[in-house]
Amino acid sequence: MAEIMSSEVVVIGGGVIGAATAYYLCREGAEVMIVEADDLASGASGACDGFLSLQTKALGAHLRLAMESAKLFPSLVEDLEVDIEYRPCGGLILATSQEQMKELRARAKALSAEGLEVEVLSASELKKILPEVGKEVKGGSYCPLDAQVNPISLTLGLAHKAQEMGATILRGCRVENIVVTNNRVREIHTSAGSIHSRRVVCAAGIGSNQIGKMIIVDVPVLPQRGQILVTEPQEPVLPHIVAGAEYLGTKGNLQALLPAEEEAMKLGLGFTAEQTKSGNFLLGSTREFVGFDSQTTPEAMNAIARNALRFLPWIKDLDVIRSFAGLRPCSPDGLPILGTVKGVKGFYLATGHSGDGICLAPITGKVLSELVLDGETSLDISPFSLYRFK
Amino acid sequence: MKGDWEKVWEEARERPVALVDCRQEIPCNPCEEACRKGAIRVGEDLCSAPVYDPGRCDGCGRCVALCPGMAIFLLDRRGGDGQAEVTVPWEMCGEIVEGERIWAVDGKGKVLTEGKVVKIKWMGGRWPTRLVTIRIPEERALKVRGVRFRENSVGSSEEVDQEYDLPEDYPVCRCEDVSREEVLKFLKMGLRSLTALRRSSRVGLGYCQGIYCQEQLRKELGMVTRRSEEETGMFKVRPPVRPVKLGRLGGVNG
Repeated sequence: MAEIMSSEVVVIGGGVIGAATAYYLCREGAEVMIVEADDLASGASGACDGFLSLQTKALGAHLRLAMESAKLFPSLVEDLEVDIEYRPCGGLILATSQEQMKELRARAKALSAEGLEVEVLSASELKKILPEVGKEVKGGSYCPLDAQVNPISLTLGLAHKAQEMGATILRGCRVENIVVTNNRVREIHTSAGSIHSRRVVCAAGIGSNQIGKMIIVDVPVLPQRGQILVTEPQEPVLPHIVAGAEYLGTKGNLQALLPAEEEAMKLGLGFTAEQTKSGNFLLGSTREFVGFDSQTTPEAMNAIARNALRFLPWIKDLDVIRSFAGLRPCSPDGLPILGTVKGVKGFYLATGHSGDGICLAPITGKVLSELVLDGETSLDISPFSLYRFK
Repeated sequence: MKGDWEKVWEEARERPVALVDCRQEIPCNPCEEACRKGAIRVGEDLCSAPVYDPGRCDGCGRCVALCPGMAIFLLDRRGGDGQAEVTVPWEMCGEIVEGERIWAVDGKGKVLTEGKVVKIKWMGGRWPTRLVTIRIPEERALKVRGVRFRENSVGSSEEVDQEYDLPEDYPVCRCEDVSREEVLKFLKMGLRSLTALRRSSRVGLGYCQGIYCQEQLRKELGMVTRRSEEETGMFKVRPPVRPVKLGRLGGVNG
C-alpha cells in the first residue's frame, strides 16, 4: 500500500526553476514538496553555463523580467549557505563585421531606452578591457550588469535552503497522474505514492509537455540541445562573460546576426565563453532540435572549438577535458511560460525558459510564489501567458 | 644488492634499517627525496637503480611510505630473540589491527610464515600510506615483501564494507582535491547517483574525468545509500576520452 502524503503546494521538478519556486514559497511560510523524477539539477540546470546575461534578452517584457531577476541575485548570495559563485563581472558581445557592429549599436540604443546600461566599444576600446581577441573582432558591446553564477550550486543552494525552511524533496519520484475534480487540482499520483495537494507548480522543464497532458493542456515546450566544451582549469584570465554576435542571432532568431556558414546555421552555433570560479573555461554553444538526445557530437565539438578560436585565439593550447550537452526547455518564441491555465484551478506553469532558466530563476520563483499564495503578482506576467500562442 | 642485505642484516641488530629491493630501472626517485640522511641516491639519471648505504639509514621509514613501487621495507632485529620486526607498506583498504595474526608473504605472494601485527602507522604526508610492522621468525625476515589476511581471502561484500577504512581526509578525487569527508557530507544530503555526487561535490570533474576515483566513489555511494551499483550508475562518459588541445579540436594546429 503506497503511502498517502499531503502538501500545501507541490512543485514538479527539481531544477533551478523548481528550486527557486520552492525557495520563495518557503520564505512565505508555505508547506512545499518538490517532486523530482531523477535528482536535483539533473536536467538542463546541471548542463548549462553560468551566463547571467541581460543584454541578450529580447526587448520588452523579457528584458524587464531579467533585470528584476538580476536584482535578486545579491540577496541569494547573502541568504543561501552554498557559495553560488556569483560574480558581477559584466558581459561582452563581440562583433566580427561592421554589419554586426551596426546591429549591436542599434540594440545598445534600444536596450538603453529600456533602462539597461550598455556601452558600444570600438576595437581599440575593447582592447582596454579584453586585451587579446581574434583579428576578425571589430568591437563589441559591454553590459556592466551582466554576471556569472554556478548554475548547479545555485540550484542545490536554493533547494537545500528550501529544505531547511521545511520543504520536502522527493528524489527519484516520478509524477504519473494529476487528479482534477470540479476544475481543481486535488491529488498527484507519483511513483512514491499519492500526494494530496490543491496547488501544483509545473517546473518540469522539458518534461512539462508530458505533465500538461495529464490535465489535458498542451504546454508547447520542446527540448533544444546545447553543447558545451570544458577546458582544464587556468588562473583567472577571462574577466567577463563573452559571447559572439551570432549567439544573439541564433538565440533571438535575429536575421541580421545569424551565422553565415551553413553548418553553423544547422548547429545553431553561437560563441560563448566564461571562466568559472574553479578556473575552467566553458565554451559554447549550439541550439539544435534533436529530440531527447543529450549526447555531444564530434561535429559540434569541432565547430565550437573552431568558433571559439576566432574570438579568443590565445586559448588554443588549453586542454579540452570534457564536453556536455543539456536539453533546454524551448518555447515557440523562446520566452518562458508563466501563469495559470484555464479550467484547472491550482495548476501553475513555470517552464519554457529556453536558454534563460538560470538567469530568470529568482524572479520566476518570486512571482510564482506570489501567484500561488496571493493570486496576483508584483510584476505583470501576462506577456508570458500560455495563451499568447493561440 | 645481496652484499647490501648482509649489511642491512647486521645493522638491524642496532636499529631499524631500510631494506631496498628495487629491481626496476624506471624513472623514479621519491626514495631519494624521502631520505633525510642521504642514504639513498638515484642521481642524475632518473632511470638508474637507487644506490643505498645502510650505514647512514636511521630507520625513519619515510622511504617505505613514499616508494610508489612498494619496494622498500624496514628490518629491526633489536629484540635478539630470534624474532625480527619487519615493516611493510599497506595500501589496501581492508581494516588491519594491531595484535592481529597475519600471513607474511614474499614477492610472489607466497606465504612465508605467520606473523603478528605489532604496529600500524600512517606516514607519507599528503597521501599517506599505512606502515604495518609485523613480528616474525628472523630467518624469514629478509624475504618479506607484504602481508595478507589469514582468513577469508575473498570476503562477502558486507564483510568487505565493514573492513573498509580510509581516513576522513583521504583525497578521493585528486584532480579536484575533494576529501572523503566532503564526499560523505554530500552523500548524507540524500544524493542517489554518481552523477548527482559529481554535480554536488565536483568529484570526477577534473583532468582525469573520474577514471581514477570512480570505483572508490561507487563504493562510498553504495555504502551510504545501500543502493546497488546498477542503481547508483556510472559517470556518463563524454568525449573527449583523453584531454585534447582546443587548437587541435578546432583544427587550427593540425
